Amino acid sequence: MTLLDFARGPALQWSLIILVFGVLWQLLGTILIGVKKDLSKPRRNTAVRDGLATIATRSLPEHQFEKKIRFQHFSGYAWHVALFIAVLFSAPHILFFESVLGFGWPHLPNGIILVTAAIALAILFALVIRRLSHPVQRLISNADDYISVIVVIVPLVTGMLASAHIGARYETLLAIHFLSVEALFVWFPFGKLMHTALTFPSRFRAGAAFGRRGVKA
Amino acid sequence: MSVDNAAFRDFRESLERLGIDTPSEVISDEERVRRAKQTFMDKLDGRMAVDLTTCVHCGMCAEACHFYEATQDEKYAPVHKFEPLRRFYRRELSPMRWLFRPFTRDITAQDLETWQELVYDACTGCGRCDMMCPMGIRLSTLINVMRQGLASAGLVPAELQALQNEQRDSDTVFGVGAGKLREVIDRLGRQGIEIPLDKDQAEVLVLTTAVEVLLFSDALAATAKILNRLGADWTMLSQGFEAANIGLVSGDEVTQKRATAKIVEQAKACGARTVILPESGHAYQALRWEGANVLGEVLPFEVLAMSEFIAREIDAGRLKLKSPANGSSVTYHDPCRLGRHGGVIEQPRQVLKALGLDFREADSNGRENFCCGGGCGEYVIKRSAPLRQKAFEIKKREFDETGADTVITSCANCRINLMIGADNAGWQKPVESLVEKVAASLAE
Repeated sequence: MTLLDFARGPALQWSLIILVFGVLWQLLGTILIGVKKDLSKPRRNTAVRDGLATIATRSLPEHQFEKKIRFQHFSGYAWHVALFIAVLFSAPHILFFESVLGFGWPHLPNGIILVTAAIALAILFALVIRRLSHPVQRLISNADDYISVIVVIVPLVTGMLASAHIGARYETLLAIHFLSVEALFVWFPFGKLMHTALTFPSRFRAGAAFGRRGVKA
Repeated sequence: MSVDNAAFRDFRESLERLGIDTPSEVISDEERVRRAKQTFMDKLDGRMAVDLTTCVHCGMCAEACHFYEATQDEKYAPVHKFEPLRRFYRRELSPMRWLFRPFTRDITAQDLETWQELVYDACTGCGRCDMMCPMGIRLSTLINVMRQGLASAGLVPAELQALQNEQRDSDTVFGVGAGKLREVIDRLGRQGIEIPLDKDQAEVLVLTTAVEVLLFSDALAATAKILNRLGADWTMLSQGFEAANIGLVSGDEVTQKRATAKIVEQAKACGARTVILPESGHAYQALRWEGANVLGEVLPFEVLAMSEFIAREIDAGRLKLKSPANGSSVTYHDPCRLGRHGGVIEQPRQVLKALGLDFREADSNGRENFCCGGGCGEYVIKRSAPLRQKAFEIKKREFDETGADTVITSCANCRINLMIGADNAGWQKPVESLVEKVAASLAE
């Protein structure tokens, strides 16, 4: 079995198993902790509407806060958008998704994907530098913050190298890229990357909770 | 409309003495940690678990905190204020605790002592950070669990502990019992302001606070004038008038429940269908939003904040107001637990509009309003006075920027804290009560 066979075969299977079961374990375990019913009389019964509204409105900062968090907020969103473009619209990725899902979608030119990935990488580095230098972020950061960054940076870098055929044989670069993505899958349920699954539920609950008191959250 | 300066000085002096003689419970370090952990375990729920798991440590919450804004000290970042709770969750409750435990440091008595300052002195539970978090995390509820944990570990600051002990043991706050209330009611009666006391049955039960009785009896008089003008069937009860809930702010649920139960029992006994709370943010939160939950039963009456009640009566056309002759300009300070936590944001503005005042909104207002800096009982903690004063400077700057002549608020505690800040800073702008403003403008 070659390294690429291993990366595409058992390593991928096991990492996906850990990802899926880990996420389900986290979600189920959190739900089972339970929430007490709120017995106070709501000011309005619009929990679903308020929850959905907060999912949308927290995507942009409020006027009062905008001027203070502009860099973090917009660099955060730029990073996510760039990452999603690089992941979802790269031709080799779409071929892979097609082999798994049975359908594909149009891709972007390789040059654009490389530039987008480079932008994502640059933003991520800027955010890491901020985390290391800003007193608040330095104080509140822990190992999870840095491990999560590493497991995201490495697939980006290896993906770019594989795409540009730089540094080693293509098969080797591809195998390393696969393995780095699998490392991300394995880490995902245990660290802050779980926010991917929990951000919207968290926003929804905040919106619903404030909404029943008559406050737009 | 004005505050008796001598009474204000006396009150400030009494704050200086508060807690000096409070006996501190002797608790071993191990017991403190055990009690705090037990409280964390009891209070953490699924919603908080989601919040603790979702946080990406972006630190944006710091920018919402008035104490961080005022000092730029990173330790005041709201997310840092519940760090021991996060560690507890990862070690003891998280679905991944079997993996996290060896890599997560256990909480210690030293941690609890260190976090006392961050949780009591440097957080008023104002919830402004809740509005900032891009993940939708309700940081104020997590910090409140920290308070509850510290309270169970015997780490409530002495001043708050003194007030908590007093309310728990004798149902009074600042020594204001039935006798003192009767004194004030008798005095107001001699001024022609009738306050019905201890009626067997009444549609409306009106509560007050010790602070109103001691310092702001004009607000109580204003409440009476409005209710009498409306011809309401109302009463106050000498054995159940105190709306302040020290347990809520100290984090002691036993005291919180006891204070709430006393009000609810009295309201039930007199058949009240409506309970009107005085101008107090935390009292509103304690009864309107937490009352049913701490007692485990739906409250059989509606609970209204004074400003909410007035807005409703104006809107229904039952309360007619005249514009004040001088047409002064005002700005409004939203008490956090009435506004952001309570949903009473538009109502006071409706009232100010009905008064025909030149109303000027401060830069931060409503759901994004900056706290007065002394909420959640913090204004009684002596050692945090310098920090509060720095936070007051934010309010002062914003009030000044409006150019308004007067600051109006609807919380006696916010009013005291702003008055103390103004007194310290030599700032002359008056801080007045909404209910007093309304009572002074009742149409003939």
